[in-house]
Amino acid sequence: MIKAMEAVADLVTAGADDAAHGGSSRVIRVRVLRQDVAGGESYFERFEVPYEPNMNVISVLQKIAARARSQDGRRVAPVAWDCSCLEEVCGSCTMLINGRTRMACSALVDSLVSTDGDEIELRPMSKFPVVRDLVVDRRRVFRGLEKVKAWVPVEGSYDLGPGPRISPEDQEDAYPLTECMSCGCCLEACPQYMKIETVRRDDESESDFEKRRKAAFDSGFVGAHAISQAMLFNSHPTGRMIADERLEALTAKGGIQMCGNAQNCVAVCPKHIPLTRSIARAGRAATVWAIKRLFDR
Amino acid sequence: MAQPRVLVIGGGLAGLSATMRLAELGLDVDLVSLVPVKRSHSVCAQGGINSVNALTRQQGDSEWKHLDDTVYGGDFLQHQPPVKEMADWGPRIIDLMDRLGVPFNRTSEGFRDQRRFGGTLYKRTAFAGATTGQQLLYALDEQVRRWEAAGKVKKWEFWDFLGPVLDDTGRCRGAVCQDLVTMQFKAFPADAVVLATGGNGLIYGRSTMSMVCTGSAVSRAYRAGAWYGNGEFIQVHPTAIPGADKLRLMSESARGEGGRVWVPRTPQDPRDPRSIPEAERSYFLEERYPKYGNLVPRDIATREIFDICTTDGLSVEKDRLCVYLDLTHIPRETLDRKLGGILEIYEKFQGVDPRVTPMKIFPAVHYSMGGLWVDYEKSKTGGLVEGSIRNQQTNLPGLYAIGECDYQYHGANRLGANSLLSCIFSGLFLAPSLANACGGTPGADTTRLFEAEIRRQEERHRELLGRTAGDENPYALHQELGNLMTRVATVVRRNDQLEAAYDDVCEMARRWKRCAVSDTGNWTNQNVVFTKSLGDMFPIAKLILKGALLRDECRGAHFKPAFAMPGLAATDPVEKRREAEEWCDSFQANTEKWLKSTIAACGPDGDPEISYREIDTSLIPPRPRLYGLVGGDAIEEVWKERQERAATSREAAVPVGAGS
Amino acid sequence: MSDSSPSFLERHQFLIYRLFSLAGLIPIGAFVAVHLLTNASILAGDDGRTFQSRVDMIHSLGPLLVPIEWAFIFLPLLFHAAIGFVIIANGMPNVGSYSYVGNVRYTLQRATGMIAFAFIVWHIVQLHWLGKPFGGGQFDPHRAASTAAEALQPTLVAIFYAIGVLATVFHFSNGLWTLGITWGLWTSPAAMRRANVISIVIGVGLATAGLGALAGMRSIDVPRAREAETWAEKQKHALSGPGAAVAPVPIPNAH
Repeated sequence: MIKAMEAVADLVTAGADDAAHGGSSRVIRVRVLRQDVAGGESYFERFEVPYEPNMNVISVLQKIAARARSQDGRRVAPVAWDCSCLEEVCGSCTMLINGRTRMACSALVDSLVSTDGDEIELRPMSKFPVVRDLVVDRRRVFRGLEKVKAWVPVEGSYDLGPGPRISPEDQEDAYPLTECMSCGCCLEACPQYMKIETVRRDDESESDFEKRRKAAFDSGFVGAHAISQAMLFNSHPTGRMIADERLEALTAKGGIQMCGNAQNCVAVCPKHIPLTRSIARAGRAATVWAIKRLFDR
Repeated sequence: MAQPRVLVIGGGLAGLSATMRLAELGLDVDLVSLVPVKRSHSVCAQGGINSVNALTRQQGDSEWKHLDDTVYGGDFLQHQPPVKEMADWGPRIIDLMDRLGVPFNRTSEGFRDQRRFGGTLYKRTAFAGATTGQQLLYALDEQVRRWEAAGKVKKWEFWDFLGPVLDDTGRCRGAVCQDLVTMQFKAFPADAVVLATGGNGLIYGRSTMSMVCTGSAVSRAYRAGAWYGNGEFIQVHPTAIPGADKLRLMSESARGEGGRVWVPRTPQDPRDPRSIPEAERSYFLEERYPKYGNLVPRDIATREIFDICTTDGLSVEKDRLCVYLDLTHIPRETLDRKLGGILEIYEKFQGVDPRVTPMKIFPAVHYSMGGLWVDYEKSKTGGLVEGSIRNQQTNLPGLYAIGECDYQYHGANRLGANSLLSCIFSGLFLAPSLANACGGTPGADTTRLFEAEIRRQEERHRELLGRTAGDENPYALHQELGNLMTRVATVVRRNDQLEAAYDDVCEMARRWKRCAVSDTGNWTNQNVVFTKSLGDMFPIAKLILKGALLRDECRGAHFKPAFAMPGLAATDPVEKRREAEEWCDSFQANTEKWLKSTIAACGPDGDPEISYREIDTSLIPPRPRLYGLVGGDAIEEVWKERQERAATSREAAVPVGAGS
Repeated sequence: MSDSSPSFLERHQFLIYRLFSLAGLIPIGAFVAVHLLTNASILAGDDGRTFQSRVDMIHSLGPLLVPIEWAFIFLPLLFHAAIGFVIIANGMPNVGSYSYVGNVRYTLQRATGMIAFAFIVWHIVQLHWLGKPFGGGQFDPHRAASTAAEALQPTLVAIFYAIGVLATVFHFSNGLWTLGITWGLWTSPAAMRRANVISIVIGVGLATAGLGALAGMRSIDVPRAREAETWAEKQKHALSGPGAAVAPVPIPNAH
């Protein structure tokens, strides 16, 4: 038995090699909207990669990077893009694929080609400043989480016993919201979420710029992801102890009122998070809170 | 005295838990990460996190048994005091994460639910659907964001750690990092530098790890003089979904929730798996390991799956090795509730619903048990001294390592759901040590040191950018390295292959110097960053191969058929007994020879200098790992008798009356 | 910093947007519904007599009518429209990339809002006495049916009215549905679906009423309506004038 195992050890990688070199001479054509630097001009560049069954947009980009040549054979810099986990939990690889926001790792070439024709178009997200090619600056996504205080306000991390008891129903209600990976799809597809790009001035210190950028972020729509996280923590027994602070943030400028009920967020969410339910719940909570504040103050 | 400042590299579970606790202790933290910390590889952990709990306690479980399972599963290759401390902290850590809002699955009464994982007989694993790692990471990310808002933490996301900065005494005084957007270099002076940079799966090309798991940060520390321990121990996860870009993990929780591994008894049975009758299926794990069934430790499950496909030729498909992992007997509603996340991944990437059709899976590189060597201070009770400045410190004073990138907790094989625990534990436990270590008398001025290091790094960067004429493609070279490593240094290892592979990797390292970069710009240049980290893979690949080559035994994930100790052949009781005695003799001899940590120090040209260090097994004496071995019962009997004899002779050696 | 002092609108964005939302329902939406249903009474088949009596009812408010109109119709409408334009200006429809039903409705809501506003302004100028200085103000509340019918005779006007009415009704009934989400009346997808059915029923009902009224106005016999109006006017005159005791004028051609 052992001998046999040794003899076939090579088989483990055989699959990988087959996948890499096998297949027909069919090619996939890709059109990428490129931009060399932040604030620079953008332009389309075309590439061709050999087709393989079951490949996704990430493997297409990997091949483009390895080849570093455009369709007409010119040597070009490899396309820059963000990715990490490749299994749709890290939220890195959001881009516009054939015009729609989605994760590149779960965009399978076979289905793209069968629905949209044999050229794939890749563009960077349009609601965030482009850093380079398909890489965008999504700091505003995380600022949104900070703005709505998306955390449980625990009194330190020392051992104070277990957390509150939670019914399985409440856990199941909350769980989908906790799967939000801050990918930004909901924001990209939202017609109410506008791009905010701030550029550091020459005479500005790092911290002044930081402050100005935060203020700029806060002036725009906070977005479905942050509203949903606010609702998640407002439903947690400890989290809700600062529910009012979250509602205050949600009713500040750029808050929940900016939602236009297009409901694209829920339609494009790769995790199928019930974002519109969160938004409606936030609307209800804000209504009650605003009325209470009006009369209690 | 200046306010103490700590530099944490890596924002996964370990880095974030350390950052949270450090901020809480009043230290300022710079947190550097290749990606926004919320996107760290910890999100990929699916199944759960282990600790003793109220339920298992009443079934006879204890922290001690958690320790025992961990060191037995790890084939006794880890120092036991840190593991004991970790097992002791388990319940507190779960409680803490629960308080932080992790949506653990609940019982009908509202308590945390638990599932069973591999290598234990207890339901010790708390879980949040099938995305436990993601949930734990988010809870810590949220707390760190809170500290960031409070001004105690400054995040440097999309920054690359280039190396520690050491002073003349060899103490780490900070680090130099590079902004991956502007490509600018920056000095980060710090009272302590903590590496929490995870594993190095990319050395194997495709693995279950994220694209950031290049191991480059650890490699850079290693080349600066930090030791690397147990490099040859790489966990190959038994169940992954094969893919061209990545081997996606199928969590052990699939088996924890009742998933069964099988192959048709007829090779490459063309029938629909659902229509193959029970009698014509081989549930080989359950057949060979009646006690643990589908939940044997990972190294064993991996070898068995590998074996059934290769030796027995029973792979489900002919051109692609795989076996069935079957969940179809479990109600859909239960699956959605407990495993929804991972089943969706399968469905999304394979286009098949695993609730209806058995999944096809095969082992894949998953976890680095080895990592930077770190120290600890043992307490009187056998655990660790909390706050000792030695805890988690590498051999370079002031440089610490936690999480997957340290070598400390998992020995020769990690048990499922122990990694999340070790990451959070090492992060939390490190913090008071740093609070004690930092803020002493400030050392000599380091400006000069940092200037020199930045110049060196700029030089290296410029040199790389200038390489446009080379004839090597870094991506092709990486694929070559990955294929080689996967072939010779995963499930089955042979000395002739390892020896040849070592030379091949040395050659690849030389070829790397001829790598052409296709992007010569100085703005978000991923090409040059990748080429740089590829160059950093070779020293680690070399130490993995060298460690594996030198270690002539089988231990945990390290399996060398030439040195395997097969089970007993005899059926006659007397003969069996004799064989068992012999088996135990050779086991004892092997233990004496090989129960040692492998320590690699970086020599010239990135070649490792390997030495071995004794292991603290003072809490639980090593014993044969007998999961399912033929004749295991006889061996166990002989071994027990020997242990008892040894214990009596120890007692006899104690002078009479000394105990009273 | 120059660009950091928020304007009044920015500081009270939530309150203003909520008032905007509310104004769409009360009083504007409610008025629109009443207005369309009143108009639909033209379909009673009595040469506009029922319609006239409804109009009379409204106009019985006498001098109070003007402040009431401004307070409950014109000012809320102007407010709703002004904020509406701010909202439209701050959004960027993307229905080309994301052609989901919800997104189509989002886009239509804005388009119909603009159409409805243009229509309403024109409608007021054309028929309300405020439009007189601009050559409009064709509607005479004492001769409700006939003046309305005359104003609606040109085909282009009728088409414009049909578009305007449909846009207004869509805007109102779709707005009713989104208002329920905004205020948190319906939160779950299932509740939203149920509410949607109701809003569709309301929308279809009001559209029927509105288009029916339009068709009804255009198809009444103007001379006979005028006759009826003259008679009714005389009647009123008689009732309120010095000869109030005189017997009522006989109803011409009453059915």
